[in-house]
Amino acid sequence: MALLEIKDLEVRYGRIKAVEEISVDVDASEIVVLIGANGAGKTTTMRAVSGLLAARTGSITFKGEDVTRLKGHQRVRKGISLVPEGRGIFPGMTVRENLDMGTYALQGKNPESEYDRVFELFPRLKEREKQMGGTMSGGEQQMLAIGRALMANPEVLLLDEPSMGLAPQFIRQIFAIIREINAQGTTVLLVEQNANQALAIADRACVLEAGRLTKTGTGRELLEDSTIRDVYLGG
Amino acid sequence: MSAHSPLSSVGAKQAEAYGKLGHQRPNWYLRMKSWWNDRSRWQQWLILLIVVVLAYLLPVINPPLITTEPSNDFAISCFNMALYGLVALGLNVVVGQAGLLDLGYIGFFAVGAYTASLWTSPDSPLVHIPYLWTLPLAMIVTVVFGIALGIPTLRLRGDYLAIVTLGFGEIIRLLATIVPVLKGNTGFQNVGRPPGEIDGAPIFSASNGLPWYWFTVTFIVIVMILLGNLERSRVGRAWFAIREDEDAAEIMGVPTFRFKLAAFGTGAALGGLSGALLAGQVGFVNNQKFDVPTSILFLAAVILGGQGNKLGVVIGGAIVAYVPLRFTALGGWKFLIFGIVLVLLMIFRSQGLFGKKPKLLTYTARIRRKVKKEGPPGDDEGTPPKTAPRRGGAA
Repeated sequence: MALLEIKDLEVRYGRIKAVEEISVDVDASEIVVLIGANGAGKTTTMRAVSGLLAARTGSITFKGEDVTRLKGHQRVRKGISLVPEGRGIFPGMTVRENLDMGTYALQGKNPESEYDRVFELFPRLKEREKQMGGTMSGGEQQMLAIGRALMANPEVLLLDEPSMGLAPQFIRQIFAIIREINAQGTTVLLVEQNANQALAIADRACVLEAGRLTKTGTGRELLEDSTIRDVYLGG
Repeated sequence: MSAHSPLSSVGAKQAEAYGKLGHQRPNWYLRMKSWWNDRSRWQQWLILLIVVVLAYLLPVINPPLITTEPSNDFAISCFNMALYGLVALGLNVVVGQAGLLDLGYIGFFAVGAYTASLWTSPDSPLVHIPYLWTLPLAMIVTVVFGIALGIPTLRLRGDYLAIVTLGFGEIIRLLATIVPVLKGNTGFQNVGRPPGEIDGAPIFSASNGLPWYWFTVTFIVIVMILLGNLERSRVGRAWFAIREDEDAAEIMGVPTFRFKLAAFGTGAALGGLSGALLAGQVGFVNNQKFDVPTSILFLAAVILGGQGNKLGVVIGGAIVAYVPLRFTALGGWKFLIFGIVLVLLMIFRSQGLFGKKPKLLTYTARIRRKVKKEGPPGDDEGTPPKTAPRRGGAA
């Protein structure tokens, strides 16, 4: 049984169908990637999996438990953490306070090892501990967003376009870190437009087009798929 | 999503301001703040104690130039200032701490005033209870109203919530006009007052502002202490996170809806308490006092004082109440002048007179000290103890 099972997910905004018939299984310690263009439904899918949006039909099962009806804050406690699109850090809090907020779901348990883990992955955050989140560069904010999500010690980390708006060397760094996080035992579900680098680290990948899954395969298969090369990888 | 809400963009702007302290804040503020932070906890408490004592003595000292006499009795003016301070304190929980724009706060104030009248005025057909009991009762009733309003509306964000709350304030005012038992313009006379007499005359009378002022200031002090503790708890952190980014707060594990409701309820209770105090002091309640401009004035008090800063909003409330009482010659000009002042304030000091970032940690001492040990030297937290054993990792 997969760690996270998304089955026939459908989400609507009012009468508009944003995504439908989305079924993805994520096995423990895998990296699964969803690629797709703007408006394909990537963020909608992530928001539905994290609990920020309600699924209209379909189900989301985590560790064998149906979490479809759980709110976002309940799903974090179960072990599903989201790094939202556009990072969503708290601009008026310091880096440290942002990380403190990340432990909110632990409800008072001592997260000392989590701080160490995050500061090891992102030494930059350690240097900037007292800086306001809102005054950091985009790349640093992305690190903070990922670090903050890790503070809850999730089993599945959902990443919504972590490469968005970042300089190429930052993107490379972020992907290396995602791989590192995965190597430490955290399962990753990643949504990306940057198909090249995302597929390179993917165990399995799916292509999302106009709200539906059109292709699935291993990362390598999709990287070598000619139509995908044309559409997403720039020929 | 929350990027669409005007409030969160305010939050982002404030964050920017916090980040560039040197550019945005006047020097006197920084100097005052660092001086304050250098005091020990005991010194801070002592200074606060002196300030509180001075606040209690204000109407007794009745300082020349500051006094509102001869046009307005100074003690009663002081009561009104304190009352606005208490209102601002309540509204600050909703607007300043949780970031929920509430334009109909006057509605809770009205509910509190009517609760006190209905259970104490001889004009009311209801069972009469002692006035002091109406204070907790007013708070309970307003919390019920707050929750009843909050459950359907707190799913809305930013401007939409503002419009709905504006409607709520008006609904309460119109109900007071329409529902027969609330007696519209005729209103309720001889609303109750706390017990106690000196030489046969009641201590708490409409013409004697002093006891009312002391009574209200006492509430302000108690409420500030309670809210201060709340602010540094998980609740305060949750509110601040919601104000900064609601979706992000939710995925951190904050039950955002429940906490927004809690903020609404807490604010409502304080609004109700204030309303009951006003009803008691004036001794008369009708439908004329609870209009939209007053509601906006409450909001102005919070913004003037600095959203999120408890002491700031109390001072903001006091100023908003004080100016028209002191400068009666302004008459109809007061709102115009007030508007201009607010515009200027927003241009030059958008975080309000005393805007500040809340302290988020309860286990403050412990965690801060630890952070201090590990953090880079030379920051605003004072000098790190040299002998402290370093924990692993580069500073």
